[in-house]
Amino acid sequence: MTALAHDLRLVGWQVRYQQLSFWRNRRAAFFALVFPALFLVIFGGLNSGTTLDVRGHLAFIDFYTPGIMAYAVLLICFNSTALIFATLRSDGTLKRVRTTPLPWPAYVAGAVGSTAIVLVASIVVLFALGVPVFGAHVPGEKMIGLLATLALGAVAFTTLGIAAARLVKNPAGGAGIISVITLPMVFVSNIWFPMDNSPEWVQDISKALPLRPLADGLQAAFDPRFGGTGIVWGDLLALAIWCIAGAVLMRGQLRSMAKAA
Amino acid sequence: MPAIELRDVHKRYGAVEAVRGVSFDVADGEVFCLLGPNGAGKTTVTEIAEGHRLPTSGSVSVLGHDPGRGARELRDRIGVVLQSSGFPEELTVGELLEMHARWYSRSLSPAELIDLVELDAKRDTRAGELSGGQRRRLDLALGLVGDPDLLFLDEPTTGFDPHARRSAWSTIRGLCSRGKTVVLTTHFMDEAQQLADRVAVMVEGRIVACGPPAALGGRDELPTEIRFVLPDALSLASLPPLPGAAVSQERGEVLVTTTSGVAATHALTGWALERGIALRRLSVSQPTLEDVYLALTAGAAS
Repeated sequence: MTALAHDLRLVGWQVRYQQLSFWRNRRAAFFALVFPALFLVIFGGLNSGTTLDVRGHLAFIDFYTPGIMAYAVLLICFNSTALIFATLRSDGTLKRVRTTPLPWPAYVAGAVGSTAIVLVASIVVLFALGVPVFGAHVPGEKMIGLLATLALGAVAFTTLGIAAARLVKNPAGGAGIISVITLPMVFVSNIWFPMDNSPEWVQDISKALPLRPLADGLQAAFDPRFGGTGIVWGDLLALAIWCIAGAVLMRGQLRSMAKAA
Repeated sequence: MPAIELRDVHKRYGAVEAVRGVSFDVADGEVFCLLGPNGAGKTTVTEIAEGHRLPTSGSVSVLGHDPGRGARELRDRIGVVLQSSGFPEELTVGELLEMHARWYSRSLSPAELIDLVELDAKRDTRAGELSGGQRRRLDLALGLVGDPDLLFLDEPTTGFDPHARRSAWSTIRGLCSRGKTVVLTTHFMDEAQQLADRVAVMVEGRIVACGPPAALGGRDELPTEIRFVLPDALSLASLPPLPGAAVSQERGEVLVTTTSGVAATHALTGWALERGIALRRLSVSQPTLEDVYLALTAGAAS
């Protein structure tokens, strides 16, 4: 076996152990999978049959399902990842890993791979609830836009999440800190309600943050006013810029975690 | 080539100089112990050798590598048991050992290690549910999983009960008999005495004495102490002549300090036998490692 193939196998094993660890932690599993689904069930149910006049009488569920998908990306890729990396540092796992021959990039890849699996599981659950159960509507060809937006959003929020680990000094209270950072962004990003009639300056702020282009891009796939493959290039471009910014910030954080002091 | 070679290593944190010029060699297969009070710099020196910290100045070589560069080849050959280190709380003892075993080019089997550290009953228990002592034993097993040539043990038995400590010592001695080099830090005298081939005493960032436990600080050349209790009827004046010895009496107990221990003991016991005197609580001793250690570290404690 070549060295690279050996290391890829190592990454595969790390994904497996991270998965075991993740799903056994009930709180983490709840926030990733149950929490967003619960929102969709409660508000989807309460607003069943409602339409949004500002969006050309779009069914509420066609607005809300992609919105909650964006929220799930935030919870799983950003919040969970920031906590995982902060815990790694504070509980001494990082210190141990550094003295072993496991390459640090293999550890990181294992954690990121595991996050990707959790995200896929969560999106599948939300899709299954939103589309067949509540009757949200997304044409087959617009799945291209949906998946492209999800992929870029996942990369952007995962890299930003790793970078944000430095903000969490004490992971026991870290969940609170991360929520405080992200909550205002969640409110202005077309997740809970449409921002269409909000003041110009609020719109400007929300468009400068990464959650809004993710939500907008996903909502385009469910909105009949957008045609074709459902790709909105402006949103993808904004997410791509966040991916680059996230990668730069992540690199600094990962390097400082790996090096001797 | 020695397994470890430190030359004039300094480590400074801002205005504080935690390590002030430490040099030592550790030979292949040797058990080397850094002994010293808390804050003496033992852990910093160990962490520099492990590659966790970079020295401010000086040179370090571990198995022919500069540990600060963190070469994978070096990390494949060392095992580190830290004072406190974490592991994913949700994985079981067996899973953690299996996971770590995959990281090394050669490894010991998880079953063998679980047996070695006596965690057989906890194989399927999650790490988060282990007691403090069990976590330390899991730490030890994880340090050994890569079958290392060089093992760092940072205060390996702190928090152990006496039974667990004895059993950890026998485990560590077993490893040494397999030819592994061990660097041990401890503040327990008996641990150093039990395990180490050589002890270096660190005080305030420096090594103040280094040698085999039996000879540390010139211990083997220090005067012998003979103690006993004289019957009430007798005084020091009635003792036989003891050339070159200092004789004193405190609370009824006589203390004879002499560099000719054999001659003095012979003279005293011969004298007592002839007269039918029982020398109650008779003892002949060398200063203990602890006496030497306390003398060496006296300045730092005050």
